[in-house]
Amino acid sequence: MEKIPVSSTGKLLRVNLSSKEISQESIPFHVYRDYLGGRGAGAYYLLKELAKGVDPLSEDNKLVFFTGPVIGTLAPGSNKVSVTFKSPLTNTYSMSLCGGFWGPELKFAGYDALIIEGKSEKPVYLWIDNGEVSLKAAEHLWGQLIPKASDEVKKELGNDNTIRVACIGPAGEKLNKMACITADRHREFGRGGAGAVMGSKNLKAIAVRGTGEIQMSQKGKMASLVKTLYQEFKGHPKANARTRYGTVEMLEGINNLGFWSTRNFSQGYFEGGEKLVGPKMRDDIVVSDASCYACPIGCGKNARVYYKGSRVHLEGPEFETVGLLGANCGVDDWESILKATEICDYYGMDTMAVGATISFAMECFEKGIIGLKDTDNIELKFGNGDALVSLAEKIANRDGFGDLLAEGVKIASEKLNAQDYAMHSKGLPLATYDPRGCKGMALTYATSPKGAHHMISPTMGAEIPGDRFAEEGKAGLVKDTQIQMALVDSLGFCSTMRFVLSVDKQQQLLELGSGLEISKEDMFKIGERILNIERLFNIREGFNRKDDTLPNRFLKEVIKEGLSAGHSINLEKMLDEYYQVMGWDRNGIPEESKLAELNISQFGNK
Amino acid sequence: MMRNKVLAVDYHKCIGCRICEQWCSLSHHGVISPVKARVKVHRIEETGANIPVICTQCNPAPCVSICPENALSRDLKTGAVRVNDDLCVACRKCMNACPNGAISLDTSGETVLICDLCKGKPQCVAQCPTNSLTYVLPEIVGREQRTRIARCFEKGGRE
Ligand code: SF4
Repeated sequence: MEKIPVSSTGKLLRVNLSSKEISQESIPFHVYRDYLGGRGAGAYYLLKELAKGVDPLSEDNKLVFFTGPVIGTLAPGSNKVSVTFKSPLTNTYSMSLCGGFWGPELKFAGYDALIIEGKSEKPVYLWIDNGEVSLKAAEHLWGQLIPKASDEVKKELGNDNTIRVACIGPAGEKLNKMACITADRHREFGRGGAGAVMGSKNLKAIAVRGTGEIQMSQKGKMASLVKTLYQEFKGHPKANARTRYGTVEMLEGINNLGFWSTRNFSQGYFEGGEKLVGPKMRDDIVVSDASCYACPIGCGKNARVYYKGSRVHLEGPEFETVGLLGANCGVDDWESILKATEICDYYGMDTMAVGATISFAMECFEKGIIGLKDTDNIELKFGNGDALVSLAEKIANRDGFGDLLAEGVKIASEKLNAQDYAMHSKGLPLATYDPRGCKGMALTYATSPKGAHHMISPTMGAEIPGDRFAEEGKAGLVKDTQIQMALVDSLGFCSTMRFVLSVDKQQQLLELGSGLEISKEDMFKIGERILNIERLFNIREGFNRKDDTLPNRFLKEVIKEGLSAGHSINLEKMLDEYYQVMGWDRNGIPEESKLAELNISQFGNK
Repeated sequence: MMRNKVLAVDYHKCIGCRICEQWCSLSHHGVISPVKARVKVHRIEETGANIPVICTQCNPAPCVSICPENALSRDLKTGAVRVNDDLCVACRKCMNACPNGAISLDTSGETVLICDLCKGKPQCVAQCPTNSLTYVLPEIVGREQRTRIARCFEKGGRE
């Protein structure tokens, strides 16, 4: 058998919460060779291990955590760990990535991956102390907010500040479909509802302490390459912008180009955006900068405001949160946006999904579909920051009107018979880019395996200097970007690294760190294989072309004002072209020849 | 004794990337391992503050004075404390005596890890992306902080 990559531990920890069995397995070499790690390896394990048609909130679902082969080497920005699962929000394959320190700690503890399966009868938390792994009672932690719960766990385990805790809040416990898993208090496995899956398993937290070490294949060469990269970053405008303003650096550009989702995607320009741009944010609310493990860029921003006299101090805001809790709800004051973010962070909810769900409710309210008696007397008008805050809290607690919204925007809209205003694809709300102003994003949202997720192929950067409204020819760009993101996500790099590390550089870092020698051509093949594996999972669950779609608003209405005015989307033509470049049939199902080319024929289910 | 430079930290600038830890463990042990680093960054999650804990090259050094085995000595060229692994019995007296908490027990449990200033070229300083760590003459330590504090007063004592 071939050796595992030098920078990997080769081990997978499996914890069955039903039987309380804890075991270790070796990860076969072919998993690294064919999928690298992270997102790719997670998708492979999920497809292999999950039966068809599993209820996402039943004990049959699994949470597959996977680190990447560059994590724990010198590679800059290498800290993302993925969790792969079947989503309760979308019923599709889903995957979320989390930065911070939890993933690297898992690897230092000796594990590349962790699979949680089954369901505990009573609330428990998992304690991974290097090779000693145990389940501990967590009844006393149930119901606790995330900061308190993570502190409590650390205290119980010996008051060791270096222990890394990933936990859920009350939202996850109450099976809120937008619940996330939060690591290190501030970093989330955000989208798709992983927190609800964890809650359904009665698992409150996963605490990790790792005191091991990671080796590198060619450390001398690695060190000199990384030193030059640090220097390159220093002169890189995009990296510098992120260092200063975090992801909010993108706000101004997107808003001025007229595709910043505003008032539930009914407009593409937010006049209040001027108050929220990067320099304003830095001057008005940022108190310090923060970084994830091994990242010299440090896009994290600690911010502080006073909302109605009480202090809000958190890590954030990042662009998507400002977009969806801010512009999309018409709210332009930092106080309300940050307070709502704090509620999401403390209860453990995806700020994006919550923002999109509230903006949906606001539009329903403004259109008279719901009234004060439905909203527990909240005046749900666009721009009402207090309403935003109260509703976020209600969703977190599943209280009154919030109970319906906690099911996610798709279910809520069906119950309210207001599907036209629910801005999602496959049940996952869109990110803060209106795809009418950047057509590659339309295809991205529609074909993303986990619902309307922008990071599956963020094509904005490539499209803006060219013709962002062109539809023809975008399929190729989307495919390439999807492949590149699949690689970044599987290697363990943060997505910001794609601006500063070409695929060549990533491949070099992989090789010097892990010893895996993979040609550029084969790298792209791995990326494509991952996309197909994810697709096959969804096909098995009954998804196909009919689900690769967008909200009617984008197909039928044009943007009315601003630099993207007059544009809507002809999705069907774009889909045809995309399936063709992917080697999928007209229904979006991978052709057998494609699967054979990628060596995954065994997963074909045609 | 010749005047040596010392390690200094401006924690206001630290973003908590722990790149310093990586290069420290790499240069001393050839691996990446946070527990093998002599510099350790402590993040206070509540506020997001990052406090790099370093050896400040105290003079006289409590660790050197207290070591019953004479395992610790001064490097005359750099002023760094050197650990003689053959003499160290890992009694941890130096750890307790260190006012900074900058000494840790090695994973082997057989010796202690103390910053040796990388023979006068500290790797943590060289690679820190924010210049939170510096290696300067003792009298220079704190100048930047003073500038910041002075500015603070100018603005009326507010951040
Ligand atoms: S390298 Fe610098 S910025 Fe990063 S953790 Fe260390 S001291 Fe802080």
